[in-house]
Amino acid sequence: MKTLVSILIMALAISACSPKDERTHITVQRIFGECRANVPRDQAPLRNPDGECEILTGLIDRFERENPDIDLTVNIVAWPGYDQLSAQYAAGDPPDVVSIHMSSMPDYQSRGLIVPLTAELAQDGVSAKAFTPAARQGITIKNELYGLPFDNWTPLWHINTGLFARAGLMKDGEPILPHTPEELLAQARQFKAATGKPYFVQSMINERAAYTRNLYTYLMNQKAVFFEDPKHIRLNTPEARRIVALFKQIYDENLTTKDQDYSSATQGFMNGQGGVYLVGTWMIGAYEAEANTPGQPLYKSYAVKPYPMLFGAERAAYVDGHAWVVSNRERSLKQDEAVRRFLKFLYDHNYDWSRTGHLPTVQAVAQSSQYLSLPHRRDIVALSEIGRTLPSEVQRQFAIQDIIGDELFSAIAGHKPIEQALTDAETRTNDLLFHLL
Amino acid sequence: MLSAKAKTQFGNFLFVAPYLFVFAWLLVWPLMSGMGLSLFKADLFGGATFVGFENYARLMSDPVFLQAVGNTFLFVLLCVPPLAIIPLLLALLLNRSTRTAAFFRGVFFSSSVLSVTIVTLIWRMVLIPDGGFVANILAVFGLPPIPFFSDPGIVMGSMAIITVWWCLGLPMMLYLSALQQVPQDIYEAAALDNSRWWTTLTRITLPSISRTVVLVVIMQCVLQFQLFGQPQLITQGGPNGASRPIVLFIFEVGFRRWDIGYAAAASQILFAIILLVTLGQYLLSRKRTGDA
Amino acid sequence: MSHSRNQKWREVGVLISLIVMGLIMVSPLIWTVMLSLKSNGELLRSTTNAFHPPYTGENYAAIMANSGVFRWLLNSAFVSILQTLGVLILSSLAGYGFARLEFPYRNQLFLIVLFGLAIPEQAVIITRHQMFADLHLHNTYPGLILPGLAAPFGVFLMTQYFKAIPKELDEAAMLDNASRFKIFWKVLLPLTLPAQATLGIFTFLASWNDYWWPLISATRADMFTLTVGIASSQINFAQTSGLGYLMTQAVFASLPILIVYAIFQKYIVRAVAGAAVR
Repeated sequence: MKTLVSILIMALAISACSPKDERTHITVQRIFGECRANVPRDQAPLRNPDGECEILTGLIDRFERENPDIDLTVNIVAWPGYDQLSAQYAAGDPPDVVSIHMSSMPDYQSRGLIVPLTAELAQDGVSAKAFTPAARQGITIKNELYGLPFDNWTPLWHINTGLFARAGLMKDGEPILPHTPEELLAQARQFKAATGKPYFVQSMINERAAYTRNLYTYLMNQKAVFFEDPKHIRLNTPEARRIVALFKQIYDENLTTKDQDYSSATQGFMNGQGGVYLVGTWMIGAYEAEANTPGQPLYKSYAVKPYPMLFGAERAAYVDGHAWVVSNRERSLKQDEAVRRFLKFLYDHNYDWSRTGHLPTVQAVAQSSQYLSLPHRRDIVALSEIGRTLPSEVQRQFAIQDIIGDELFSAIAGHKPIEQALTDAETRTNDLLFHLL
Repeated sequence: MLSAKAKTQFGNFLFVAPYLFVFAWLLVWPLMSGMGLSLFKADLFGGATFVGFENYARLMSDPVFLQAVGNTFLFVLLCVPPLAIIPLLLALLLNRSTRTAAFFRGVFFSSSVLSVTIVTLIWRMVLIPDGGFVANILAVFGLPPIPFFSDPGIVMGSMAIITVWWCLGLPMMLYLSALQQVPQDIYEAAALDNSRWWTTLTRITLPSISRTVVLVVIMQCVLQFQLFGQPQLITQGGPNGASRPIVLFIFEVGFRRWDIGYAAAASQILFAIILLVTLGQYLLSRKRTGDA
Repeated sequence: MSHSRNQKWREVGVLISLIVMGLIMVSPLIWTVMLSLKSNGELLRSTTNAFHPPYTGENYAAIMANSGVFRWLLNSAFVSILQTLGVLILSSLAGYGFARLEFPYRNQLFLIVLFGLAIPEQAVIITRHQMFADLHLHNTYPGLILPGLAAPFGVFLMTQYFKAIPKELDEAAMLDNASRFKIFWKVLLPLTLPAQATLGIFTFLASWNDYWWPLISATRADMFTLTVGIASSQINFAQTSGLGYLMTQAVFASLPILIVYAIFQKYIVRAVAGAAVR
């Protein structure tokens, strides 16, 4: 035992030693996982070239190659990374640059933990106008840019066009989508009668946030103002009740898969279990690959569309996004400069990241033929225009999303009356916001 | 000038002193600070305001918390009896030095090596009504799938099944090491008396390992009151809050909402509950076995 | 005659029920191993094909390609071994003290330690984090090792175990005028080997699989333990796209524990006839 311990100590001591150098040192923290096996240094990705992890690993490798004077420490943390980040801030040792969700920015901004970047970005000739409206709105708090937007993401209607055709819901090679709740129910019933399968594939068991996002989108569609100010939500409204009633009706009539969690829903859609899967931009790549694989249920049978507007003409969609923020901590001028160069590099490579399926945040990329010639991007690019985040001063959006999703599921599955669930969601959310210091 | 007796006693105390120091520093002190924190409205980064017992009053009228307390008790009731009895049976069967017994001890211990992430991932695939292992078996007999995770009346039972499978190992080993202490000649005497297996068990074996039975029950109560990872990873506390235990509530409030004063208050209540239950059991067992 | 035949049938019955229960126990584990040998792309389509070829070693290759993984393995081994040793030493000393020795407030102190058993991790984790930040213990080995040493379970277990040892043994030694430490070390400690082994396995196991404390204390990649490091490699939040990889990580992370189990377990059940306390 003793020898074992001393061997371990020696091994640790050896691996802790590293040559000293003159380079500028900064720390970058990110989520998206580790995939070095697919991305050998200095080469194009070997496998899964459009994966989030593969693209980002390749990009950071390239930054290090192009900037030999900067010594980058890359800290990869588990999704969503906030427990660690908060712990680091609490211990006074945060990373210089970190990837977070736009919906979390108000939490850190309100405590002065991240710094405004408007002036920094301007030095590189990047102004707010360079970004798409959805991205710009997501990172602007009190007229300052608090992050470099990397992408916007949002749930979409992923459609099995093969099943749609069998149900007579295709016209000129395009899926026929509903314009009103009544149309949706009629088409879903028609779909079920023709195919014997549910119209919707939904993850019910552990993806509570999905309901909340549906609700946000269709509230925006009705021009409902549910955050009159950042501290109060209003949910027990006719607009919200209408939305929940629709999803409950779909559930009651078995027009959706039930009892699936995120994994089985993702798998189920891939295996042709239903017509429309409500899930985010990040699945486009995986399903597109299936659509190009002969013999698979989705072969030549896949389309993806923004949520159809069911409650009026207002085109809107709830979006979130990933952004790079800079911690408020002591840095030398050289380190500040290194941080700026890193952000500029990511800005310049926004197209590469948009291959993941997420929406680009740089207006010029969203309009480029290079981006628009990627599969399905013409169908969804409008979301970078009409997409909206929650008002930028609403804090604890993750927690709120979970509370609302929790209550919505109770209503949809019939554990609670709709009114009751919406009142409870409202009370719980407002209680949370009231108790913020 | 210490008397000889005091010197001896001081020497005796030195045996327990190192542990007591670590205990006071790393457990009692943070607990006390936590109790202090529970009297504040505090944010992870935003300072703190003294509010007295307001956090506790808030908890008592928070339906989500009260439901979580109920859920936790239900889970402990479902989970602890099987975790006290099944491992005991296994230990009785496997308390021998044959290779077969060693093999089976390994088998029943093996689930304990997994982390909660993997345990939940595997059991999700076993129990999920949509294409899961159990659902497939039921389908063979023409039976409908059981909604293990989406029926509020069933979900805690599912958590209990998973937990029993995962946690069998520790109590089994504790029983085994206790059985090693039972003097062999008692059994030999009993064998001469031609006592039946059941009589030997209830008259000799169980009384000899009663301390361990108490230990196992107390330990399992302490552990299972802290249920967290299983529902967090499988159901996130749903459906309708039916699988949200106290610790998940604390996690949501403290780590997701940064409302750490409120989370601290909920932790103190959990501490009080566990303390009452374990202390009650301990005192009860001491009274029954009549030792100090 | 009929008596021994009965016994034989009983043995067979026991064996059959053990096999059935054992199968229930291990089939998910076998499934894990099979899944770890499948390609992630295939598992994305279906998880029910684990028992059909083709199999692949790509997930194991991927783990080996991760530059951090051996460092994390070393970190975990170092932390778990030192924590286990620490707990065994502290608990045995304290257990002996509480079970056998006289000192003021002994029963009260033991009761307080018993109180400690009831302290949930969540009640101390935030304030302990703050305390360790003030002491600059985060991202250090002591920061990872120390918290586990305070767990009262070991003390409780060892106290109970020492109490169950017949008093005549140390009284006899006392007559030989042996010191307390000598009695503890030479006479009693060897008798507690089964309990030491049990405690050792479970301290190691708890330390190895611990997630929350290392997650918020060791936030620098070179200080990650294996659990935290492995979680950070996970590509996707809902664990959908890398199921095979995840299962490979499970197998990889479990192997060291199985080795530790194999080392310790022979002390738990020794030849029943010979070794029991007399």
